[in-house]
Amino acid sequence: MKKSDDEKKNQKRSHDPGRRSFLKGVSIAGAGAAVVDKLWIETEAREKKTAEPQIVSGSVKIVLDINGIKRSVEVEPRTTLLNTLRNHLDPALTGSKLVCDMGTCGACTVLLDGKPAYSCMVLAVDAVNRKITTVEGLGSPDNLNAVQAAFVQHDALMCGFCTPGFVTTISAYLKKNPNPSLAEVREACKGNFCRCGTYPRVFEAALAAAKSNKKV
Amino acid sequence: MQQQQQQQSQQPAPKKKKIRVPRSVNGIEQMVEIEVDDVNGPGWGPNDKHVLLNHPMTRVDGPQKVSGAAKYTYDQHPKNMLYGRILRCPHAHARVVNLDTSGAEKIPGVAAVIKGPLSELRFAGAPVAAVAAKTPEIAGDALRAIVVKYEVLPHVVKANAAVAEGAPKVVEPSDEANLQKKASRGDLAKVEAAFGSADAIVEAEYISQRIHHTCLETHGLTVDYSGGDSATVYASTQGTFTIPGDAAKALELPESAVTSVVQHMGGGFGSKFGIGIEGMLACKLSKQTKTPVKLMLTRYDEFVMAGNRSGSWQKLKGGVKNDGTLVAFQARQYRLGGVGQGSQAGQPYIYAAGESYREIFALHTNEDSSIAMRAPGHPQASFAIESLMDELAYKIKMDPVAFRKKNLTDKAYHRQLDRGAQAIGWDKRNPIAGGNPGPFKRGMGCAVGTWGGGGNNQCKVDVTISRDGSVLVAVGTQDLGTGTRTFTRAIVAEEFGLQLADIKEEIGNSKLGGANQSGGSTTAASLSPSVKDGAIKARLAFSERVAPLLNNAKPEEITFSGGNVSGGGKTLTWKQACATLPAAGVTARGEWRQDLQATGIHGAAFAEVEVDVETGHIKPIKMVHVQDGGLPLNRLALESQINGGMIQSLGQALWEGRVMDADLGMQVNPHFGDYKLPGSLEIPEMIPIIDDGDTREVVIGIAEGCIIPSLGAVVNAVFNACGVRVRELPITPDRILMGLKNQS
Repeated sequence: MKKSDDEKKNQKRSHDPGRRSFLKGVSIAGAGAAVVDKLWIETEAREKKTAEPQIVSGSVKIVLDINGIKRSVEVEPRTTLLNTLRNHLDPALTGSKLVCDMGTCGACTVLLDGKPAYSCMVLAVDAVNRKITTVEGLGSPDNLNAVQAAFVQHDALMCGFCTPGFVTTISAYLKKNPNPSLAEVREACKGNFCRCGTYPRVFEAALAAAKSNKKV
Repeated sequence: MQQQQQQQSQQPAPKKKKIRVPRSVNGIEQMVEIEVDDVNGPGWGPNDKHVLLNHPMTRVDGPQKVSGAAKYTYDQHPKNMLYGRILRCPHAHARVVNLDTSGAEKIPGVAAVIKGPLSELRFAGAPVAAVAAKTPEIAGDALRAIVVKYEVLPHVVKANAAVAEGAPKVVEPSDEANLQKKASRGDLAKVEAAFGSADAIVEAEYISQRIHHTCLETHGLTVDYSGGDSATVYASTQGTFTIPGDAAKALELPESAVTSVVQHMGGGFGSKFGIGIEGMLACKLSKQTKTPVKLMLTRYDEFVMAGNRSGSWQKLKGGVKNDGTLVAFQARQYRLGGVGQGSQAGQPYIYAAGESYREIFALHTNEDSSIAMRAPGHPQASFAIESLMDELAYKIKMDPVAFRKKNLTDKAYHRQLDRGAQAIGWDKRNPIAGGNPGPFKRGMGCAVGTWGGGGNNQCKVDVTISRDGSVLVAVGTQDLGTGTRTFTRAIVAEEFGLQLADIKEEIGNSKLGGANQSGGSTTAASLSPSVKDGAIKARLAFSERVAPLLNNAKPEEITFSGGNVSGGGKTLTWKQACATLPAAGVTARGEWRQDLQATGIHGAAFAEVEVDVETGHIKPIKMVHVQDGGLPLNRLALESQINGGMIQSLGQALWEGRVMDADLGMQVNPHFGDYKLPGSLEIPEMIPIIDDGDTREVVIGIAEGCIIPSLGAVVNAVFNACGVRVRELPITPDRILMGLKNQS
């Protein structure tokens, strides 16, 4: 496969492949029709392309823009972005966690061009030419961002396995809405599960981060 | 931080005893005998006199966890590592007639295919084979390429069907009944006579569902073995020391050649001890390929074979006097543990009855075995007895709080019930169930619970003070997310008058000092006495060493506070004092001390809910949990754990549950899409209260205690709100609507 073609194709992608945005679309009143329209438009757009569809098999070399660094990696077309980050990059980025592998729990949340996405539901080849930010890209133990620092301060973590997902989701949300209400914070992280029961303190931490002077 | 108090010097005329402490003489470590206060050595001192302990402390591994730097077992990646996967039986009861792995073996990238250990498969999801491949994707291909021919056998997965005549037999030997009596207690004739003296009697059946631990990090191992004579096993486990023995057997190595490492782990809740079948398969795959193997269960695997909290089916009967006294009680308790034994505390649980009789049975079905889950057997028993007690209170028109106090002799519960009632606003509760107007009806409920939480003598803790002033505390224990690292540091820091940041801890490695497994809230009470003992011994040894610089002050009179070491009218900074040490520094080994811990805790829970009587939807409004536990090591982490207990309880009360298809014998909701966990939109206002009325100067574990009573509190709040008594969990809207229909 020619890399330049691949990159061009991916540049044209404008939809967010995350389940979150899909569900958001469905939940709007009358969105059934909207979703159908969107699918139809895309199908039509694909059919209008005269070039034969490329069948990709085996593994392909791609370049991903992760936390501001271009990383070259070889993956199968079916490999998810999450598995690529965790298993194929060397050194790996394991902050994003594999928990449900079906877009329900949010532990694998990364930012694609600043928007949260479940990386278990994104193919790595679909993330080419997009800015990927993982939890490691938000801050390091010695230089935490506002949300990470507030999570520590308010004890918004116990086992910590869901924590990177919550931190990533909330960091993106505070950029969009720097002064949220409690109800808005709950809504923002409804796509993330915690089993230890840290929710009350996750809410506290998110609200505190919004008020902090630190950078999100 | 406040100035540190010197507790030892405040004690009037302390008794003396001689203890042996390590001391370095001319660089050679040796034990010397010194005299110290007290029969048992210094204690914790009064709970309100601590500088770090009993204060809110942010957890020391927080920065690693919030930034993705913390490495869990799932994140380990030894060089050339293969990915393991397990093939599962799709039938509830079957035998493998033929297993054809040739197709899988031919796939490029597949390194090994091995057979599972079971000859007869007694539940859907039982392991049949395992593979190791170069990528997780190829491992999935390999599973799909294995062809299995099964002989399908009859099964039963519903409890009521399993006790019916002619039901398929579940357990070995095959002539043994699905319902087996395990224990009984009390005198039935006396109970029957006592019922004759009761003014009111309630008889009812209560069913609690099977729920899943749903640890976010699934069960599994990363086996770092490439042939040769040693291996390192990274395990997601609650017991660092439960791993090397079994792993060594599977790897055919001596136990001492296997090191287990547990740096961080993503939730266990009672389900992670030993290597399990998945760990055994991972080791065998690694052994066969002479290559490291990571085998973490998939989420589906985790649901179908990683265990669950046993269900319960309880037939209870209680009789009370009009003054609220429980005079007679009878229970028939079925533990629903699938192919396992299940667990259930004996009734009437924590209440005292004039006369009581109970029988406990194991009831088997073709389902994955239940395993321990946070407070095994207690939430089930608590849900049923607290429901029955509530029914009795309403029947004799007595306030449920007053009714409980009447039947609880321990005054700790009285204190906690009063505190909780105040926090929830119990005085605003309508005593008439369903008595509030409108379709959105609010109601409140309460319940109480108990647990042990004591420790045992297993932890060996090494405390080292180095010449450069650094302090290391090392022990092989594990931190499940409960804050073990943080309190371990804090105990040592407080003993030396230092801050958390001045101490480093090393845990989660089987080559360090021994430690117990974290089950049954035993970690804090097992570990902290050993840490304290090690810190005291290190302090005394250090004092011996530094005394000549402090006008030869007596070692036990040298004080450590605010980063200073003082005695004989002189003060040195910590660093100055440490500079006097030999190159090897000072090391002391702490042993467990029974007097620094205890067992026996109490908790009271309150809940307020709102029931929409038009849709049956339940909205939790507020939850309160009052918990004692002796000396609170870290108030911040403790409150977090109380919150967690309430939330997990709420999940079982309203949403969670393993749903089985009777015909197929399979779980129909083995994923987070259909297994409903509590989420951010459902969390009510939560008030975790540490009961400081408990002034015991001892450490006791509280993890189990705070998951027990909220279940009953929520169930009783639902009844108070809408007048529907739901006796089967979870309380789904259909059950509310059915109850309302039956009322009218």
